[in-house]
Amino acid sequence: MATGKAASVVTRQVRPILSLSHNEARMRALALYKAWYRQIPHTVNENDFPKSVKQCRQKLREEFMKHKDVKDVRVIDMLIIKGQMELQETATKWKQSMHIMAYWKDTVNKKPTDFYSKFLEGKD
Amino acid sequence: MASNILRKLSGTFKNVGLAGSRRVNAAPTVLSRHLSSETQTEPESRPTVRKPDLVARAHVTDFGRYVAECLPKFIQKVQLTGTDELELLVAPEGIVPVISFLKDHHNAQFTNLSDIGGVDVPSRMYRFEVVYNLLSVRYNTRIRVKTYTDELTPLDSVNDVHKAANWYEREIWDMFGVFFADHPDLRRILTDYGFEGHPFRKDFPLSGFVELRYDDTKKRVVVEPLELAQEFRRFELNSPWEQFPNFRDTTVIEEAAPAAEKK
Repeated sequence: MATGKAASVVTRQVRPILSLSHNEARMRALALYKAWYRQIPHTVNENDFPKSVKQCRQKLREEFMKHKDVKDVRVIDMLIIKGQMELQETATKWKQSMHIMAYWKDTVNKKPTDFYSKFLEGKD
Repeated sequence: MASNILRKLSGTFKNVGLAGSRRVNAAPTVLSRHLSSETQTEPESRPTVRKPDLVARAHVTDFGRYVAECLPKFIQKVQLTGTDELELLVAPEGIVPVISFLKDHHNAQFTNLSDIGGVDVPSRMYRFEVVYNLLSVRYNTRIRVKTYTDELTPLDSVNDVHKAANWYEREIWDMFGVFFADHPDLRRILTDYGFEGHPFRKDFPLSGFVELRYDDTKKRVVVEPLELAQEFRRFELNSPWEQFPNFRDTTVIEEAAPAAEKK
């Protein structure tokens, strides 16, 4: 551990999760995106939830773009692993339509930002 | 003589009832006086308190030292808890060799993986401790193997050694977010599909981030971010089950093989 501590000043030697380089992680992310993209028509067809294929693909893009600024390869890998697990849950229909609809959060009201709507909401 | 040994051990075992330190107020009968004059022991004042078993302790200490000498590369420390449980502290890359050694070695035969537990200490550099509890049916002993990791460092799966590790590791993954490399089927086991976060982490709030309710207009269960009224935000973090905090029995941990670590 003494060598690890000395090296941590410059860079830390870490064990990779899946990818060895940033490029490899990028390829994995793209592969996951494609897998989701191709899965969506089947999911829409087989489940009963009020969204079209187009809306689902828009949501997919949104979910991926949430993490567009992540640079750490291991963090990207962890997100890919979790995305892969979610894809499996969706494709095997372990997720019910309620779980799928949870991506949209359509019952959550936006929090008031300006003074007037905050006043009407009764909060400060 | 026996009471002398007991008195020496009283530093490590707080709860041992020392003969002579507390006398029972019962009037001594002739028989008991006769017995005590023969064996030089007082009547047992605290029969429910565990007495130290020096022979078993010596066995466990010797075994710990032996394992540390066999696997000096991986075992960083060998320690005994206050109740004579042997603990091996192992580097994360050596978890599979150590567990398979303990399983296959003729003098160990820890063939049963009883449980895998996790501990989260956020202040540490490697915040998660993963604890493997093993049982040797042949020798009727237990051992605890501890290793460490953080959120992003994968641990090797011991599924190839013990098939029981499959669901235990899935549980650790689900509750703490520790990733196990080469696990055949790593997915959630306790939380609901679509659940975000790992509930046993210390930075996961007791009330969670979301709440679920049935929405009558949507005709389905909806997930919404949790909003607590201010009066419900007062969290009591002390354990409600600890009834006598002043008499908490702190576990004493001592090192069994300090020489092995230096090498």
